Amino acid sequence: MSAADGDLLRPVTVLTGFLGSGKTTTLARLLKAPEFAGTVAIINEFGEIGLDHLLIETCEERFALLDNGCICCTVRDDLVETLLRLVARADAGDLPSFRRVVIETTGLADPAPILHALMAEPRLTDAYSIDGVLTTVDAVNGLATLNAYKEAVKQAAIADRLLVTKADLAAADELERLFLRLSVLNPTATVIRSREGDAPAAALIGVGLEARRGGSTEIVDWFERAARATELPRFRAEGLDTVRDTTCGDPRCANPRHGLRHGEDISTFSIIIDHPVEWGAFRRWLEYLAMLKGEDLLRFKGLIHIAERPDTPIVVHGVQHVFHPPRELAAWPSADRRTRLVFITRGISRSLIENTLSKFAAIDVARIHRPAA
Amino acid sequence: METSTSADLILRNGRIYTVDRARPWAAAVAIRNGSFVAVGDDAAVEACRGPSTQVVDLKGRMAMPGIVDIHTHMLMGGQAEMFDLNFSSALNVDQICAAVRGWAEKAAPGAWVVGAQWGTDKLPALNTAAALVKLDAASFGHPVLLRDDSYHNRWCNSEALRRCGVTKDTPNPAKGEIGLDPESGELTGMMIEAAAGIAERALGESGHYTPEMDQAAIARSIDTLNSYGVTAFLEAASMKPIMAALKGLDDRGVLTAWAGCSMPAVEPAFMFGAAGDELFVLREQFRGRHVKPDFVKFFLDGVPGFKTAAFHEPYTPDPIRGCCFRGATMMTVPDLIRWLGKCEKLGLSVKIHCAGDAAVTQALDAVEVVRGFNGPTNLTHQIAHASYITPDDVKRFGELDVIADLSPIIWYPTFFLEGHKVAMGKERAERFWPNRDLLEAGALMSGGSDWPVIPNPDPWTGIEGMVTRRNPSGDFGDAVLWPEQALDLESTLEIYTINGARALRLGDVTGSIEVGKSADMIVLDRNLFEMPAHKIADTKVLTTYFEGRPVHERG
Repeated sequence: MSAADGDLLRPVTVLTGFLGSGKTTTLARLLKAPEFAGTVAIINEFGEIGLDHLLIETCEERFALLDNGCICCTVRDDLVETLLRLVARADAGDLPSFRRVVIETTGLADPAPILHALMAEPRLTDAYSIDGVLTTVDAVNGLATLNAYKEAVKQAAIADRLLVTKADLAAADELERLFLRLSVLNPTATVIRSREGDAPAAALIGVGLEARRGGSTEIVDWFERAARATELPRFRAEGLDTVRDTTCGDPRCANPRHGLRHGEDISTFSIIIDHPVEWGAFRRWLEYLAMLKGEDLLRFKGLIHIAERPDTPIVVHGVQHVFHPPRELAAWPSADRRTRLVFITRGISRSLIENTLSKFAAIDVARIHRPAA
Repeated sequence: METSTSADLILRNGRIYTVDRARPWAAAVAIRNGSFVAVGDDAAVEACRGPSTQVVDLKGRMAMPGIVDIHTHMLMGGQAEMFDLNFSSALNVDQICAAVRGWAEKAAPGAWVVGAQWGTDKLPALNTAAALVKLDAASFGHPVLLRDDSYHNRWCNSEALRRCGVTKDTPNPAKGEIGLDPESGELTGMMIEAAAGIAERALGESGHYTPEMDQAAIARSIDTLNSYGVTAFLEAASMKPIMAALKGLDDRGVLTAWAGCSMPAVEPAFMFGAAGDELFVLREQFRGRHVKPDFVKFFLDGVPGFKTAAFHEPYTPDPIRGCCFRGATMMTVPDLIRWLGKCEKLGLSVKIHCAGDAAVTQALDAVEVVRGFNGPTNLTHQIAHASYITPDDVKRFGELDVIADLSPIIWYPTFFLEGHKVAMGKERAERFWPNRDLLEAGALMSGGSDWPVIPNPDPWTGIEGMVTRRNPSGDFGDAVLWPEQALDLESTLEIYTINGARALRLGDVTGSIEVGKSADMIVLDRNLFEMPAHKIADTKVLTTYFEGRPVHERG
């Protein structure tokens, strides 16, 4: 993709979060912000009534242009059609031209299929780019929700940015516990607090890897931050694997070592490879990983030094079994040319990744390292 | 001893080979509610005797666990036996036509003449316009469909081709070939691999076999298996009607063997209907007390005799395929990995048809990747017909815990082997079935008949052949196939009993004579350990017990 083409792609933000976590309030505030001028918001017309996911089939697409919003369905196939029609109608002049899209999912939604469509449907990748996944978490009920609902865990694990809402309503120690828990679930995401939807709009734009352009040092910053975060001792995957308190019944529990006990089983880790990798073998390994472990691969991001083209690193990222087409950067953003991989998984261990890289991607196990904590 | 805990049946005074390595021999067994409750000497089982216990004196005869046939086609086998013309694969063109003539004369007007099985080595002779003229003359206007000894190919007459809508201008189907005379370009009636499906579909649509015939055929197949001592089998391509018939028999309490079902991942060339996911979702409705729809079948390649098996080295050059043809696999390694991954998620074990050594390599490669990512599992997968295997791959069977599903009855010197020699040269053709090497590599081997690819599912010829590496029928004189690969009798009997039970995921249920296991046991007319190996094939099963009930008694 050339830089010129890239400029034409309209960024899409996926706004998700459990029932009652403040998505709609957040969206309403954002749409008034100047950064979000010219935004089309795709929301669920049934709102957060709990049964909304059952009503998807009967949902009828309607465009209700307010300042810059519309109403439509959340079902994946329909979403594809909706996104395509938006472009067609804007091109035809039926709709004011728009610059970006925010998709608000239902409270029980799995955001992964939406990302899959945006990553893998060629008609969409020609028109849109993923700006990132923004997940709202209720400061008061967030912990109990994470402990009780696997949907909420996945929404948080898959996020690029976590927005803790109603922060003013929670006690400081409670908030602290929630932050700890979120950092275990998804150390690669930045956590932002808001009260009454006052999060700065600028902080919610351009949150995803895809939004970053080649040559930017941001991408490297992101990997470094993620790698550092995944190596903090409190949530090294091994710790979660070996220490489990199986008696804890506290619905507000935030002990990171109780992750498995509370049914989330999320492992997050980073891997560094300090030798060029052979792209064909690495790509084959990625294909196997997606085929056999895709379901449990919540997020995967990598900056790859390939032997064939040592001066132009490749960025790969995937959500479950779907990978975004690899993107080649024009140059290395910094002097560090090591391959860096970050994983957010459900139960996939670091050792499985290391063993299979060595076996099927022709990578010498001595070249595989974990980042310094 | 109270009557309620006493045995229903005691078999005593026998030479009982248990296939239990901890206690290979016993003299007596006691059976209650279909299971062994005591195994030992006559005194040991005496304690289980009650007033209503039936006692059978084995009079010193050998008994052993029921045989497991890990590869059989129950519907085709029974159909062939009950409804079709059967002839030897040794017949030449004129003899085949004579057999067809005899059958066609008596066939109802317009009815199909279905027969089996011609030898793959007869292909050059059958695949000519002149041979088709002879077949047409013998048919009296009936459509004729003749299956070969691999079951992958059909020889049809002109009336059958007409009903299929096949002309000499019909394009070949993907992965199939419609035979044309190399000289005249006219049809020969030969329908190879996927083309065989065109003929079978026309036959199926004609209503030649009714559902009632299907059920009767499977019931007959099970009777046949029982008569040879088989008490468990893995149905090797289980389409919906097959599973429905097995479940129906089981529900009526007349299924007299353990039945594993392997559901095709892709519709096979010779059977029609739901396959893959569409079939997998139905499986629980067919599960019965003895019916285990826990297996999937992949076809990775064809057969060596038709050069449809995938090899590392090229076949013998021929005018059509040129100098360097190696055959091809029907699925890529990534396809295989995707399917294996899906099957493991569903708890299904996979049986992969691999006739050529390259197909075996690909299947093992795929299993290796799946094991690498999925880690250890209780599911074991099978490579069917594991026969041409590179030395490196032999070792991988043990390392990857892949079961070698052997088809012994088609490996000792046979017409198949003659066909293979034509296809790839004598020396390579005879590097066939490295059984000793597999055993030493720690592979779990199990024995299958592939009936009706072989005309009857008699395991005793396979057992003898595994020990002697000779054809027990005498058709090939003293010819010995790679004698270094011969196995001892003990290992061979394990292959046909406990190993097969393990492959069927019933290793705790049947396959050996041990307390707590299903009382699946056979009484033989001879002691296999006290006679020359070349007499094993003559073995007759006097009585077959399934769950302690006699289901076959030799009259």
